[in-house]
Amino acid sequence: MSQPSPSPSSTPFKFPTYHASYPPFFTLQPNTSTLTAQYRKWSRLIQRYCRHHRLYKLSLTSTIDSPLFKNTELKKRLSLQDARSVLEWMSRDEGGRRIEWVDQKGRVVDGRPREDTHDTCWVFWKRPEEWGDVIAAWVEETGQKGVVLTFYELVNGEGTRGEEFHGMDQELFRRALSTLVKRGKAQVFGGEGAEGTKFF
Amino acid sequence: MGNTPSTHKISAQDRAILDMKNQRDKLHQYQKRITVITDRETSIARECLTRGDKSKALLALRRKKFQESLLAKTDAQLQTLEELTASVEFAQVQKDVVFGLQQGTGVLKQIHAEMGGIENVEKLMGESEDARAYQREVSEMLRGEMSNQDEDEVEDELKKMLGVINGVKEPDAVEATVDYPNVPQQEPVYAGKLKQGGEQNTRARQRAAEPMLA
Repeated sequence: MSQPSPSPSSTPFKFPTYHASYPPFFTLQPNTSTLTAQYRKWSRLIQRYCRHHRLYKLSLTSTIDSPLFKNTELKKRLSLQDARSVLEWMSRDEGGRRIEWVDQKGRVVDGRPREDTHDTCWVFWKRPEEWGDVIAAWVEETGQKGVVLTFYELVNGEGTRGEEFHGMDQELFRRALSTLVKRGKAQVFGGEGAEGTKFF
Repeated sequence: MGNTPSTHKISAQDRAILDMKNQRDKLHQYQKRITVITDRETSIARECLTRGDKSKALLALRRKKFQESLLAKTDAQLQTLEELTASVEFAQVQKDVVFGLQQGTGVLKQIHAEMGGIENVEKLMGESEDARAYQREVSEMLRGEMSNQDEDEVEDELKKMLGVINGVKEPDAVEATVDYPNVPQQEPVYAGKLKQGGEQNTRARQRAAEPMLA
């Protein structure tokens, strides 16, 4: 079974020691190998933070002043530019493609990071295909293969309460399902706003 | 589970079930909305009472009551809808079961046809019985053609084998030990004296032996 989802901010997020008491962590280091290690640590931290608060999308301008990037006790913060390069590293293969830049309309944007276009991104603490696996496993465990299920009952229904994907972002849910459709594990049908799925 | 790719299609039934389930979801959402409204009306009524506005509080409570009656009605509708959906899904399962039974019966029939019916089996059993009887006859005849001497030799060989198995010496070895007479107990006596002396001598011997025993 998947772990029960903690309700958002029911417990305070516990920051790792390097975030709580190590000032150089908030300045990107010039040495390449140190920088890579630093990127990796930031990436893990951002993913854990978003998982804890059930954040699926992150907007740089609105989170740059949040405790994630700003440590008021140390009087240290990650600059907007540095935060963007951390996220940019995460979006690449070496960072495991854990984020994906999107514009205001939610379309995926590519290319070099620019201030005006690269502000919001998906944070994949679970990538869409990983979400797909979680959902497919739940359907399998509950014996609902071949049963017609509505999107609403999967995401908001009483039956999935306590599952990790309960209450997840609609769009991400759709993407997770489409990875299953691609793999021939499910079919999606029905009209806009009244979609359903059937697992095989 | 016999899931061939052809079943990976969405049937009209699936669409109908989806419609019903979507309707159910809408009712759920409607109930959520009503619950929010009734909660709000309750807090409004409480607020009005603390301000001393009794008539407004009463109004809010009436509105709340009305919403609650709607909630009860939707509950009943929801139940009907859910029952219908469950029945449809159960009917689908039943259909699958019937299909499975049909398949099974078909296969069973086919196998029976391959066996060629009861008559064929009966005939086959008869033929088999005949064949076995014939075999018995042949065995009898073969045994009858053997001479008595041959039979004896066979029996002897069997006995010998049994003997070897049970650890008894082979008959040849037994014959090799010659049955010698026992060593004589008395001294050899001259044949002339044997007439009276033989008895005297034995008595004397007995007498000599007695004191030694005593």
